[in-house]
Amino acid sequence: MNKKLLSQLAFIIAALLLWQLLYNMKIWPKMLFPSIPTIGKAIVEAFTKRGLPAMALHSLKLLVSGLCIGVFLAFILSSLFSINENMAAVYNMIVCMFDLIPGIALIPVAILWLGIGDEAIIFMVIHSCIWPMSRSIIDGFKAVPKIYVEVGRNFGLNGIGLISGVYLPASFERLFSGIKLGWARAWRGLISAEMVFGGSALGIGYYITDRRTNLDIAGIFATIVVIVLIGLIVEYGIFRIIEKNTVAKWGMVH
Amino acid sequence: MGDGPLNGRPLLHIDALYKEYDNPATLVLDKIGFDLFAEDFLCILGPSGCGKSTLIRCIAGFERYEGTIEIDGKGVTGPGSDRIMVFQEFNQLFPWKTVIKNIMYALKINGIKDREEARGRAELYLEKVGLIDYRDYYPHQLSGGMKQRVAIARAMALKPRIVLMDEPFAALDAMSRNQMQDELLRIKEGEGMTVLFITHNIQEAISLGNRIMVMGRKGNIRESMDNPLKKPITPASEGYSEMWRHLNQMLRDGS
Ligand SMILES: Nc1ncnc2c1ncn2[C@@H]1O[C@H](COP(=O)(O)OP(=O)(O)OP(=O)(O)O)[C@@H](O)[C@H]1O
Ligand SMILES: [Mg+2]
Repeated sequence: MNKKLLSQLAFIIAALLLWQLLYNMKIWPKMLFPSIPTIGKAIVEAFTKRGLPAMALHSLKLLVSGLCIGVFLAFILSSLFSINENMAAVYNMIVCMFDLIPGIALIPVAILWLGIGDEAIIFMVIHSCIWPMSRSIIDGFKAVPKIYVEVGRNFGLNGIGLISGVYLPASFERLFSGIKLGWARAWRGLISAEMVFGGSALGIGYYITDRRTNLDIAGIFATIVVIVLIGLIVEYGIFRIIEKNTVAKWGMVH
Repeated sequence: MGDGPLNGRPLLHIDALYKEYDNPATLVLDKIGFDLFAEDFLCILGPSGCGKSTLIRCIAGFERYEGTIEIDGKGVTGPGSDRIMVFQEFNQLFPWKTVIKNIMYALKINGIKDREEARGRAELYLEKVGLIDYRDYYPHQLSGGMKQRVAIARAMALKPRIVLMDEPFAALDAMSRNQMQDELLRIKEGEGMTVLFITHNIQEAISLGNRIMVMGRKGNIRESMDNPLKKPITPASEGYSEMWRHLNQMLRDGS
């Protein structure tokens, strides 16, 4: 594990050095290609002077609300439509159709229907995660080995008991990758929406637009770095830990 | 035992059991019938594809069928914990639960809500299969034979009317297989279990069963006999080779 961590760190350092080298070669104007120290300073400024942490927190709050609603709705819809095969085919089609709509294409709809407040942002987040999540639920349940289902039924499980006792844990790996995919898409959808219309309070997407208006290229890169950092924290700090305590512990990772 | 009819009603009663699959249309069981009495250990032999798994799955309630399957006089309409299956597959334990939780969960579903009571019962049966030290292991940390032992412990802990075993030892090496056979016999005697046991292996059928049935390729029962040999039965037991030859003949001839 430490070797992996070292390699990862080495890569990051190399990338930073390469960037700085390109900067020193003065190929592009400073205005477009800032130095690493300038970006570092912009990050510090973003945190100390410009209130980026509060904005990021606000964005994350909307993201988590939207994710929870989206995952919940995905479960409800997937279950409702699994009543018979025809309904399942219809839902499959719905998922295929809506999954193809880029979140950004729905922004005008969100604004017209819900205004430019948080509701519109949450709407975008739900759209980003509900379809990949539904797909994971449908595929995950389908892929549950028949023997677990039969063992469960043999013990006397059926209906909800069979779903919560067998289907959910047996398909946990897929459900979880659905959540991961949903989160990644929702995070992007959210930032796009905030860049276009802000929401009721200021979020991280607003911040990046604001930096652009101020021609602050270092600030833009600083925000991008923060966006990446948040992603890394979620991946390594939350998702990996959950995986380690579930599918990895159960020997269910492929 | 073989004198079961003296006990009155059979525990398992099968009559005119007929089963065909639709897709592709296959006739598998052609109006077969037999009875099983409490504490019987019935071994069913038969060539591959003759319908042994289909038969046991019908009894377990996983398949639709025509004819009669009754447990204590009540028709089988679906799966139930009065008939617990032990499958051939090693992955019949829930991988997301530890060994003991696998058993406790099955008990909880079956009305043992008190955790301590469930734990006590689970430990008792893990003790019987010699795996008490592995209670907190996850299934993927066990060998195939250990997994089958846990599955057997789980089945027994539920105290079903009958344990249905579909080649549970078929995927084990010969040595573990012999050991598991001895263990199963010992536990079966201790618990007074009723067992329906499917196997490909003539030695296994002779060593384990107090009754032996041979199925033919046409979805019929070719032979149904009491096992006259005295336990413990080894290939050196008197009458063993005659028995082996007879059963082998029955299997060879097919139809
Ligand atoms: N779900 C199914 N649909 C259609 N045909 C099936 C199905 N399951 C089994 N069969 C057919 O029924 C017949 C009996 O199968 P079964 O699995 O009961 O045999 P078996 O005696 O258990 O064989 P083996 O010893 O190899 O396990 C076979 O011809 C098989 O192809
Ligand atoms: Mg079989």
